[in-house]
Amino acid sequence: MSQYVLRRLALVLPVLLGVSIVVFAMVRMIPGDPARIMAGEAATQETVEMIRERLGLNKHPVVQYFIFLENLVRGDLGRSTMSRLPVLDEIKHTLPSTIQLAVAAMAIATLIGVTTGVLSAVKPNSWVDAVSMFIALVGVSMPVFWLGLMLMLLFSLHLGWFPTAGSGTWRHLVLPSITLGLSSAAIIARMTRSSMLEVLRQDYVRTARAKGVPERLVVLRHALRNALIPVVTVTGLQFGNLLGGAVLTETVFAWPGIGRLMVGAITARDYPVVQGSVLTVALGFILINLVVDVLYAYIDPTIRYD
Amino acid sequence: MKLVRRVLQLAAIFGVAVALLAGPALAQGRLIVASGTDAVTLDAHYITDSPSATVAEHVIEPLFELTPDGRIVPNLAESYEVSADGLTWTLHLRKGVRFHDGTPFNAEAVKYNLERILDPANAVTFRFLISPITTVEVVDEYTVRFTTDAPFAPILAHLTHSAIGMQSPAAIERYGEDYARNPVGTGPFKFKEWQRQDYILLERNPDYWGGTPDIDEIMFRVVPEDGARMLMVQTGEAHVAVRVPPDMVSLLERDPNVNVVFTPSVRTIYIGFNTYQRADQPKNPFTDVRVRQAFNYAVDNEAINEFILGGMGRPSDAPIAPGIFGYTAIGGYEYNPAKARQLLAEAGYPNGFRVQFYSPAGRYLKDLEVAEAVQAQLSEVGIQAEIVTLEWAAYLAATNMPADENVVPMFMLGWGTVTGDADYGLYPLFHSSQWVPTGSNRAFYSNPRVDELLDLARTTPDDAVRLAAYQEAMEIIMADAPWLFLHAETQITAIRSNVEGVIIHPTERVIAGGARIR
Amino acid sequence: MGNAVDARAGAGPAPETTRAGAPWRDVLRRLARNRLAMLGLAIIVLFVALAVLAPWIAPHDPLRSSFGKRLQGPSSEHWLGNDELGRDMLSRLLYGARISLRIGLISVAIGIAVGVPLGAVSAYYGGWVDLVVQRVIDVMLAFPGILLAIVLVSALGVGLENVMIAVGVVSIPVYTRLVRGSAMAVKRKEFVEAARAAGASDVVIIAKHILPNCVAPVIVQSTLQVGSSILWAAGLGFLGLGAQPPEPEWGTILSRGRQYLLVAPHITTATGVAIMLVVLGFNLLGDGLRDALDPRLRD
Repeated sequence: MSQYVLRRLALVLPVLLGVSIVVFAMVRMIPGDPARIMAGEAATQETVEMIRERLGLNKHPVVQYFIFLENLVRGDLGRSTMSRLPVLDEIKHTLPSTIQLAVAAMAIATLIGVTTGVLSAVKPNSWVDAVSMFIALVGVSMPVFWLGLMLMLLFSLHLGWFPTAGSGTWRHLVLPSITLGLSSAAIIARMTRSSMLEVLRQDYVRTARAKGVPERLVVLRHALRNALIPVVTVTGLQFGNLLGGAVLTETVFAWPGIGRLMVGAITARDYPVVQGSVLTVALGFILINLVVDVLYAYIDPTIRYD
Repeated sequence: MKLVRRVLQLAAIFGVAVALLAGPALAQGRLIVASGTDAVTLDAHYITDSPSATVAEHVIEPLFELTPDGRIVPNLAESYEVSADGLTWTLHLRKGVRFHDGTPFNAEAVKYNLERILDPANAVTFRFLISPITTVEVVDEYTVRFTTDAPFAPILAHLTHSAIGMQSPAAIERYGEDYARNPVGTGPFKFKEWQRQDYILLERNPDYWGGTPDIDEIMFRVVPEDGARMLMVQTGEAHVAVRVPPDMVSLLERDPNVNVVFTPSVRTIYIGFNTYQRADQPKNPFTDVRVRQAFNYAVDNEAINEFILGGMGRPSDAPIAPGIFGYTAIGGYEYNPAKARQLLAEAGYPNGFRVQFYSPAGRYLKDLEVAEAVQAQLSEVGIQAEIVTLEWAAYLAATNMPADENVVPMFMLGWGTVTGDADYGLYPLFHSSQWVPTGSNRAFYSNPRVDELLDLARTTPDDAVRLAAYQEAMEIIMADAPWLFLHAETQITAIRSNVEGVIIHPTERVIAGGARIR
Repeated sequence: MGNAVDARAGAGPAPETTRAGAPWRDVLRRLARNRLAMLGLAIIVLFVALAVLAPWIAPHDPLRSSFGKRLQGPSSEHWLGNDELGRDMLSRLLYGARISLRIGLISVAIGIAVGVPLGAVSAYYGGWVDLVVQRVIDVMLAFPGILLAIVLVSALGVGLENVMIAVGVVSIPVYTRLVRGSAMAVKRKEFVEAARAAGASDVVIIAKHILPNCVAPVIVQSTLQVGSSILWAAGLGFLGLGAQPPEPEWGTILSRGRQYLLVAPHITTATGVAIMLVVLGFNLLGDGLRDALDPRLRD
């Protein structure tokens, strides 16, 4: 196992290199000129040309890539073309907020998801099952801004319990993480339910029941563990998504995260920031997927990596 | 009934109690402004967007000031003289002013700032505002003199622009590239902290030459979601919220704690027609003035203003908005679909034609809805406009293509005349030397008489001559109709009723220096 | 695939012995007896019918704007109210069903068609194949969807098909990871070893023994994805990819209604409920299908 983990870790660099090439190429393939956007609608062509020169955009893309790599090795991600701030600083500002939000949202999602999933699998077609189904439906059908604004109306404007938007205290974290967590809870709940239903029908569960093992133990000790593989898979995927794809929630709640940074940079064709933030999110995904793979082997010892 | 009321009262009291216990406390003397977008840079010379300008103007001041009612008044320059030939300008500076880092504000500093902007290698966007300046010389500690290569009438208006702000030369040298997040000026507030995408904090400058501000701090909070911004003013988490959507006005006006303020903006929204006939393309209908006029007659901009903008815009009666020097009401096109159909028939399009209509989404007030309304009205006269929305960068790239590569037949855009002078509102948009990508003439409009008038108005020092020239130029432009003239925007701002003295400037900036929280 | 399939649907550990498969006829019979599944099917059929019949049953022209009725709530003439240009919401939703159902279904199909085999192959062969495939998936996952969408517009041009492709491509990694996770648990089971010992080819083993055991999570994911695809399309609409105004695509209606959430909540709510019903239909049917595929539940 540890050998497998080491091999996976050794692959982190090549994968990041791959990501960097793809992003570097793609962001330059799409229409839109960073110099023009930076200079604004009113700028003269002369100014735009000068900015392009300064940003090194007149060099051949391959040359640009190697300059980027060279700087990257030295731990320098370059400077934002828009704000002229070091990309590393921009990421240092936004990444902690994003991780905070993602962890809180994931905690809520797994708590709600696994609990309602297990309960509704134990008693299919009961009221718990119906409620869990309803949460799942709202979670996937209602857009984040709808849920977000509804929560704001209720908890900020009418009840005054939590601040509307922004960041700073733990109370700022509550509404966005519920909003973000609910859509993940939806899929985790459905996945848990389905998987549990499968397992509860297995012979060994029936055997355990027949032997008179208390139902709670049957469910928690025998069934749940065996039902976890797809649950862990979606949880890992959702967690990764929250790292990079929480743009909408971050926007609605004015949360200063990396998702907004990344999308803002894409719209502004801020190449260095796009590259830096995508690489950061990629690293996050790679590590999460590694953890998920290790968890597979832990949950089901017959899974071996060799 | 009584019982119901009592229950409601109790609930309200409970609500208030919880709010007081749990609600976010506003720091004493801190004014919080919820803005939609984060600043991009705080180096005044490189600012091209109004969120950045709004923050920077509290820290960095220009030599002259454009008042909200459109007058140019002294600021860091106390007075000026101009030579008889209009080429040499002498500015007398305010004495005893220091930048926030202690550097004295003097003629040397002005020279440093102007030369930094003028150096082409620095690639300052708004260099063109003062590019006629050839030399800047220090006469004495508080007198600076500059000369221009030709008489340049709008120069004072251009010196009010926030991009021509005076910043500490010592700080610019010391911070280098990091100056963008360490701005140092002479303004009523000093820069304190910038958490990107979150907030910018400014603190009071106790030594401000214009008197110490009443509030201790200003916090500009970035809140992109319209609904969230409004709710924050209602809950008291912010004192000021900018860019209130028109539809939410009635909701906010019901709240006794919030005032809604309407301020005309100098931004004009228009639909440009590509009037250029590419040699490699079939006949472009917009080369025919009758077609362009027909489009103007076909669209009811009064109705669009009333229904889509909730009456919060101002249908255009000239290419620039009122409040700008040089504006005269020329008179717009009335809504007359019959006339539109007739003009189209005369131009050889009795059954109309299909055309792609590019529109931004979310850039201007209700832009996409305005586009859809225009589309619906055009269809009444047989024009099938097919809306193409592009994300902003791609949109800008597409509309900015040179004439022989440009494929955008008609497009919606806005233009803010932030200098308050018609030169900035007309010259880059209608002078034939300003076709994109050189300038901002995206309609590829060209009329020799308009060129002549715009040149004249730019070089004569005589205000009466300038006004007359602009009036004639605008009359020709309205008749030539290179644009479909839509409306000027109105800024809608929500301000908590216990706040006084916040000024909303027509150039889309919030000025909170004189604010007071009761 | 003979007249019998190995229908041991299940993500959990497989039973210790191979079971005889359930013929499709049995599966359908069991499905037909499941009342909830039939309710789900009815909902789906209803929406498909509404979409097909939209031109005949829509009370108004979905593109006809009427400024005076802007943002009006439900009334006897306009059952679901009017949108920001005064257009009839009910008619727009009916016409929109034609576009949005297609987006949902086709993007799910693309995701499954590519993602599922990839995941199975990755898990079955393991080793370097798995490492490489999964690292490619890592790259895809890390890649911001919005950037991919903009790249697609500039490469393929504007069009509804491209929305489906974009959303489908974005969903591939999810299926790959799901199937791989379940398949890894299955591939060392005795019945797989037995099949291998009996000389079955890799393709046969994957198709007949591995994949049927990974069906459940794929059903759950895909039934929910029908909804999230429609929401995804909303984001893409703003990038100029796909439905352009005034086309009444659900996702676009929803994201445009965002501005009026506080003053005209009926726009987003009605659209959201429509999406919710569609997702409900697919979920109920999916749950039933999964149960029907499980032979242990026979009679």
